[in-house]
Amino acid sequence: MYRHTLTKRLPAARRAPLPVISTGISQRYRYYSGKAPSTRPERSPLPAAATTTTALSTEKKPSALAEYVLTSLDGLVNWARQGSLWPLTFGLACCGIEMMHVSMPRYDQDRLGIIFRASPRQADVMIVAGTVTNKMAPAVRQCYDQMPEPRWVISMGSCANGGGYYHYSYSVVRGVDRIVPVDVYVPGCPPTAEALMYGVFQLQRKMRKTKITRMWYRK
Amino acid sequence: MSTITRTLGNLRKIGLKEYWHQLNYIGDTKAGVLVGTDRFGNKFYENTEELPLRTRWVDYAKHDYDAAHIEPLWHAWISYAVDTPPNKDPLAAAAERPWAPPSHVPNNTFTRSAFKTYSTTKPKIQSWEPFAAPR
Repeated sequence: MYRHTLTKRLPAARRAPLPVISTGISQRYRYYSGKAPSTRPERSPLPAAATTTTALSTEKKPSALAEYVLTSLDGLVNWARQGSLWPLTFGLACCGIEMMHVSMPRYDQDRLGIIFRASPRQADVMIVAGTVTNKMAPAVRQCYDQMPEPRWVISMGSCANGGGYYHYSYSVVRGVDRIVPVDVYVPGCPPTAEALMYGVFQLQRKMRKTKITRMWYRK
Repeated sequence: MSTITRTLGNLRKIGLKEYWHQLNYIGDTKAGVLVGTDRFGNKFYENTEELPLRTRWVDYAKHDYDAAHIEPLWHAWISYAVDTPPNKDPLAAAAERPWAPPSHVPNNTFTRSAFKTYSTTKPKIQSWEPFAAPR
């Protein structure tokens, strides 16, 4: 809808060369690439239509022996990873209380292999729980940088997701994903302990789908 | 409480095949009555002689199971919010709300149908379109 309005707003002189452009690589960009137009091979006007028989990368089954081996190897690595998530606690506000509930006997995160670590150098996943202020932001980023690979980030609560209640405050970062890449966003203000655990399960699902050695093999 | 006598007693009731299945999914050996099955194919069991808050459990239909596969009314039952299961509740059978989706939508996170944010506001900045006039 929005694109449609843009095309309508263009003057007629701009709209005229559109059919020429659509026949191949844009005529106008050739001057910017610095190449003479004659050196570039002619391309087919349109890319071939995607066939419905092509399997997605997620649906593809292993065919060669190496793929079978690497798939099993990935399964093993992912199983080990998701069975010992060591989070770096970043309890900044009331969400931290709910994060502590997960570690308490009722939800008992130890049975999932989750043990809070005080040092970022021993942690796999960072649970940012609460409002990230501008003053705290460099510390969050530094802790993330100190974590060893592979590392994940769970953003917990409205404030960490997008500023939340303090979105219009002068001193609050509008979402922790402005500082660190976030894997799972747990909504809520604060999210319940169940919600955080569900977020952990979703992160485990993401780990299960990670193709570690298969991507290495493909390269 | 998991004791050897309880495990063996339940094993005798449910059989070896179900025992192996439960060990892979629940991690416990439980015997109960099948209360019902929801439209996803999840099976819901109950045994009131278990310890409190362990009396109701679910056997998911999918291998890669997720708590969001449970339908809302069954979720209320398995979370002990209601005592009558939805397949025995006349009110639940009549609960056809016009605003509710016709079937339960599971969590699509990390699938191709996952939600992606989009802007609903008019952009304040318009992108510059590079154009070199032929000389």
